[in-house]
Amino acid sequence: MDTLVAQYSRPMFEKENNYDEDQMDLYNPAPSMSLKFAMPPIAQPSAWLRAATDDHANPDCPIKIAHGTTTLAFRFQGGIIVATDSRATAGNWIASQTVKKVIEINSCLLGTMAGGAADCQYWLAYLGMQCRLYELRHHRRISVAAASKILANLVYSYKGRGLSMGTMCAGVTPSEGPALYYIDSDGTRLAGNMFCVGSGQTFAYGVLDAEYSYDLSEEEALALGSRSILAATHRDAYSGGFINLYHVKEDGWVKHGFNDTNPIFWKTKLEKGEFSNVTSEMV
Amino acid sequence: MAMFSQNPLMNGPNYSFSQTPSTAAAGNKEHSFYPYTDNGGSTLAISGNDFTIIAGDTRSTSGYNINTRYSPKVFKIGGTTSSQDDATLVLSVVGFAADGAALKERLDAIVKMYRYQHGKPMSVKACAQRLSTILYGKRFFPYYVTAILGGLDEEGKGAVYSYDPVGSYEREQCRAAGAAASLIMPFLDNQVNYKNQYIPGSGEGHALQEREKIPLPRNEVEDLVKDAFDSAVERHIEVGDGLQMLIITKSGIEEKYLPLKKD
Amino acid sequence: MFIARSEYDRGINTFSPEGRLFQVEYSLEAIKLGSTAIGVATGGGVVLGVEKRVTSTLLETSSVEKIVEIDRHIGCAMSGLQADARSMVEHARVESQNHAFHFNEPLRVESCTQAICDLALRFGEGAEGEESIMSRPFGVALLIAGYDEDGPQLYHAEPSGTFYRYDAKAIGSGSEGAQAELQNEFHKSLTIEEAETLVLKTLKQVMEEKLDSKNVQLASVTKEKGFRIYTDAEMAAVVERLPAN
Repeated sequence: MDTLVAQYSRPMFEKENNYDEDQMDLYNPAPSMSLKFAMPPIAQPSAWLRAATDDHANPDCPIKIAHGTTTLAFRFQGGIIVATDSRATAGNWIASQTVKKVIEINSCLLGTMAGGAADCQYWLAYLGMQCRLYELRHHRRISVAAASKILANLVYSYKGRGLSMGTMCAGVTPSEGPALYYIDSDGTRLAGNMFCVGSGQTFAYGVLDAEYSYDLSEEEALALGSRSILAATHRDAYSGGFINLYHVKEDGWVKHGFNDTNPIFWKTKLEKGEFSNVTSEMV
Repeated sequence: MAMFSQNPLMNGPNYSFSQTPSTAAAGNKEHSFYPYTDNGGSTLAISGNDFTIIAGDTRSTSGYNINTRYSPKVFKIGGTTSSQDDATLVLSVVGFAADGAALKERLDAIVKMYRYQHGKPMSVKACAQRLSTILYGKRFFPYYVTAILGGLDEEGKGAVYSYDPVGSYEREQCRAAGAAASLIMPFLDNQVNYKNQYIPGSGEGHALQEREKIPLPRNEVEDLVKDAFDSAVERHIEVGDGLQMLIITKSGIEEKYLPLKKD
Repeated sequence: MFIARSEYDRGINTFSPEGRLFQVEYSLEAIKLGSTAIGVATGGGVVLGVEKRVTSTLLETSSVEKIVEIDRHIGCAMSGLQADARSMVEHARVESQNHAFHFNEPLRVESCTQAICDLALRFGEGAEGEESIMSRPFGVALLIAGYDEDGPQLYHAEPSGTFYRYDAKAIGSGSEGAQAELQNEFHKSLTIEEAETLVLKTLKQVMEEKLDSKNVQLASVTKEKGFRIYTDAEMAAVVERLPAN
């Protein structure tokens, strides 16, 4: 109760916190990474934020944050394949069909984006900065384990505050070989051979589990990554758009295109005979 | 793994809010702290080969009340004078007008300070990133706005960056935002990006060839913008009154104001 | 004079009646005790060179770090209290990364130098209520070399917080002789290779030890390769080129 009273009975000038923010903007050419975020002047900011932005808890929420996704990454003998769709949804509205859900942290590390788009973009860019500072301070590249732990500790420190992200960090380093980690906003951090994240994850896992083997050739692995995303875009309404495909190798990652799912779907159907349940006749 | 079990809608990663009991009391109760109003309206941006057009209607509403018929949503950013005559960047904000105004003021101040601190005008690319971090700085108390930033890139090509309220952004060819986004965006997909337009008789299924995308000339884009808003005014109560259009070219920013239906 | 000085040279925030801040002036003296560092800017890039002062044959020379990277496009050479330089360099690195994070572009060399100099006066309290974070001024000067949209640039930053841009600059114990030499030898059409030899030739003249490829270090900042410290092989090659005398 005291905190409540304190929150609402502060003198006016203290409530003008936006003024302070503006001042800080002006003094500091680039504001420091103090990780200070503006908070609503109430006792329960996270409950309020949930009511305002979480369209699952409150379908009528005024601020709809873009999300919904299929992303996958798996290790194989030739490195790591990372593949994603490109659709962003806000409720039922398709906010974008061209989202870049693979985030290039640096020339050797990739992150994927599921959950809140802004959360992923911001914190993976932040991670990129931390990795670069590590390089400068220690004169060597950061391990994927260390990079993923920076991110995991970071989001854990915001636990309960409303971040939403499910991300994978993929990289190949001389000390670890190909390494893949899953990190989410609950604070989970897992090392593994294969992860699919997002609303279409189950569909992607279905294809991936059936066809996966560690000894896949590079060409086969790329095709499998693409095919798994295709399956997810076909069955998950929240996934779609383009297939974004990357291959991470020891000397950095290589991009293998950002291709429209529609022609790929028809090619897969007509040339390989898959998706034979899809016909042009009305049933 | 119970990681995703609690969000059946998305089946994606959960919000990491402390799990409150989902009884009626917590679920749909009235929140006494409600700092936002939706002031309606729509904005639209299209980039061309050597220009960018950002437009917005000028109606301001709250609920079904029309507050004013002239409240601009499109602003010049970062000029050296109060008239912003020499500005090269344009920001459009739609949603809650007070947050939009605060955001505009803040970005403008930052872009102006940047010129003093670094001795050069800010590029759209730099401004786009800065706007993203400004929006994310209020991640836990968001600006209730959808922002679009426009300008010319380093090569002189038109650039449009679109944002969500908490700062995720993407460079796009075109974007509509606000109340009538769902009316205008499909029209733009078809008329700017020629989505689902194929060359007749070029094949079936994946053999179909897409209609070639050609950069649209400025006068055609201006007509598209007018048509988009005229259509939106016909079918959306929160859009109307006037159309403000800022056209960014290498010789500066030109402003046009066209009337829209006022009913 | 001497008496007046002793009263006013203790407090770091007190002017003497003649209007001098003695502690800041003394910090400039500290640099004159440091090893010599030289920077030369050419049209194609900037070359930095330092003497390493190998005080013992048992010293592992690679652990003497007097040229460091700030970002891909900026590096610096130091002279004076090396430990002080560490916090300045750390500050510059964070500032540079921070700029890239917020503006998606590399920090300009002049802005980076300015950021370092902003830190130099933090032994007093700031105007915006920032606390004093140091008990005394820095005892180190930096030569900051970088490449940005304005081409290659060389800056000299002092503990007093002032900085100037130079075509060629020497700091440290041999700076007076070296600066005179640079004054004579520098011309605008220098190539990178010529700048390398000029730096080493000048160092050779002011160094107490005999110059070899182990007790000096070179680095360059160019548009193509960014900041780069020369490898042992490259060092040997440049030393080889020096005119023997």
